[in-house]
Amino acid sequence: MAETKSRSKRLITTVGIIFLVLGIILYFVKEPMGLNRKIYDLPVFLIIIGICAAIKGFMAKDKTEEEAALAGKTFTEFLTNNAILIAMLVLVVVICILQPRFMQIRVALDILTQSSTKLIMALGICFALLIAGTDLSAGRMVGLAAVISASMMQTATYANRFFPDLPQVAVWIPIVAAVLACMVCGALNGFLVAKYEMHPFIATLATQVMIYGACSLYFDMPPNNSQPIGGIRPDFAQIGQLRLFNGLWKGFPGISILILISIVICIAIWFILNKTVFGKNVYAIGGNREAAVVAGINVFRNIMFIFILASFLYGIAGVLEAARTAGATNNYGNGYETDAIAACVVGGVSMSGGIGKVGGIVMGVLIFTVIQYGLQFINVSPMWQQVIKGVIIAVAVAIDLTKYRRK
Amino acid sequence: MRKVFVTALVLVLAAASCSFADGVKIGAGIYRFNDAFMLRFRNAMSAESEKAGAKIDIADGRDDQPTQDAQIDEFIAGGVNVLIVNLVDRMAAQETIDKAKSADIPVVFINREPPLEVLNTYGKAYYVGAKAEESGIFSGQLIVDYFKSHPEADKNHDGKLQFVLLKGQNGHQDMILRSKYSVETIRDAEIEPVELASAIANWDKLEAMKIMNAFIMSIGPENIEAVIANNDEMALGAVEALKAQDYNKGDPSMYIPVVGVDANASALEAMDRGEMLGTVLNDADGQGSAAVKLAVSLAQGKDVSGEVTDGKYIWVPYQKVTRGEK
Repeated sequence: MAETKSRSKRLITTVGIIFLVLGIILYFVKEPMGLNRKIYDLPVFLIIIGICAAIKGFMAKDKTEEEAALAGKTFTEFLTNNAILIAMLVLVVVICILQPRFMQIRVALDILTQSSTKLIMALGICFALLIAGTDLSAGRMVGLAAVISASMMQTATYANRFFPDLPQVAVWIPIVAAVLACMVCGALNGFLVAKYEMHPFIATLATQVMIYGACSLYFDMPPNNSQPIGGIRPDFAQIGQLRLFNGLWKGFPGISILILISIVICIAIWFILNKTVFGKNVYAIGGNREAAVVAGINVFRNIMFIFILASFLYGIAGVLEAARTAGATNNYGNGYETDAIAACVVGGVSMSGGIGKVGGIVMGVLIFTVIQYGLQFINVSPMWQQVIKGVIIAVAVAIDLTKYRRK
Repeated sequence: MRKVFVTALVLVLAAASCSFADGVKIGAGIYRFNDAFMLRFRNAMSAESEKAGAKIDIADGRDDQPTQDAQIDEFIAGGVNVLIVNLVDRMAAQETIDKAKSADIPVVFINREPPLEVLNTYGKAYYVGAKAEESGIFSGQLIVDYFKSHPEADKNHDGKLQFVLLKGQNGHQDMILRSKYSVETIRDAEIEPVELASAIANWDKLEAMKIMNAFIMSIGPENIEAVIANNDEMALGAVEALKAQDYNKGDPSMYIPVVGVDANASALEAMDRGEMLGTVLNDADGQGSAAVKLAVSLAQGKDVSGEVTDGKYIWVPYQKVTRGEK
């Protein structure tokens, strides 16, 4: 056993160092050899991957016997368990060959930026999944928050203002209003599920329809009459568009503020799930509700809190979407919940509750975004994108279920 | 007796001369009220009716053809002299025409064009609208004008125009004609158009932003010489994606001309800021007033053959809008 362990450790370290060296060599020869337009930022990526692999190789020690046994499993098993990740890597390589522009730092940053709101959504929806439920109203809440916040954030000179007489209010007011509106909807979700023991599927289906209707009514109020909201104030748009360290060196596009916001939220949710009583209760309720009740967990309060917390995150996501796109319509967020659920599932969150980690969700979101972004990048028809997305979800869940059955 | 007759005649003539549309009742059916474009249309129709002294009733079809059919029955039962109909389903024109025919009142279709063979089944059926291909021609012209007046717009100096195209909903008549004619206009101006990429963004800003972003990343913004969008919302999505890469923010060396169609308020604002090159106005006001004028003339039994083309149509032209105009 020990031999397998050290061998795999040595293998990772070696591969890492090879990548690192290759990256450094390419970095210095790409200018003189005229490879700039052929490999773009590939050397930098190789260096980063190399360093990460080398560090992982060094750190991967002191495994327990059981983990070592798992590490030593057969090659085919390794392939099936990581099929989605491997498929993604293959796709990335194929795209890089077809369209070398993919190997740019700005593309990588762009993928991270696009993952940000998706991650916030997925982190919200994972709570509902962890208690073996679901949340169909998530996407519509994004639309609600986007419309409410955008409606109050138009420039004074814009011709079609939503509230023609509204003064230029402070930026935080519409944000709070939008998020609070979502939290009220979340509370309704929680109440229906906790009080009447309604299945979350039905409860959130009902609220989804209600929210969309209410949002459309608000959006249709005169003088707006269902026109897309535009003329967004630049100070509000900055919340979604600001890029830090822009132009730090030539051609560096900057790091989107969305990435930072999602990292902060990610850490907060990790803390809540792993280090608080509430987090433990979520897993307990998801694992076995009756046992949780017997153990004295206040299920009503916890479920209420789950849906309110989730809706808080959807509200944030909605505000960010409105700011990023400098606009909103009642159709914003349509279908986001299915993307978020799919990302969670691919990231190893079990639909039957009680199982799921923040790290897995981050992976799930990244895998999904890379695949979607990559397909769009090589201009694959949206219809094919849908087909591929569906296949990924089915395969991911199938693999997951076989894994648990084996254990 | 004779005196009475003369007095009556004078009165009638006097009444007719001071307000010649008196007594004209128009029944208008709109496919759906909460549509920004049709809102402008409705306002223009009401204003024109008031001006002409006609009475107009406008009904909300709520995007449902049977609802609209019932409303037309009500109009006819209520004794209107003329109908203006914005069909929910343009293929349902025959039923509307049959109703107008049996009541022997003229009908003016607006915005959604019934098939010609259906229009031909009734002598008093007309259509007022805009030619979708014209909007395509105009957006092509906006690009051509810019290209000719700005030699630096030809970034790779090959004399060709490398563009990306953002298309509306698949199969939509406007999407097909606008895409086709904008490119053809560029070719007619003796600039060879080269389509780098095109995609369907369903008239939607968010979708267009995502697609444009992928284009920028995969093609490279320095290789794109123009962005043609089938409507303003998609053009604005493209503008947001460009701004995220510091394009179209004022630096002339980092600028890609973007054109749309509709002339909505956000597009005009973006044009004032120099983020968008131009748009094409679908003249709702002109169409609304033209429809009412035609309806009033028809109700009074006037000869309209001088106003309509091909005996059936009034085409209201689109208008080019560029920076600085409103």
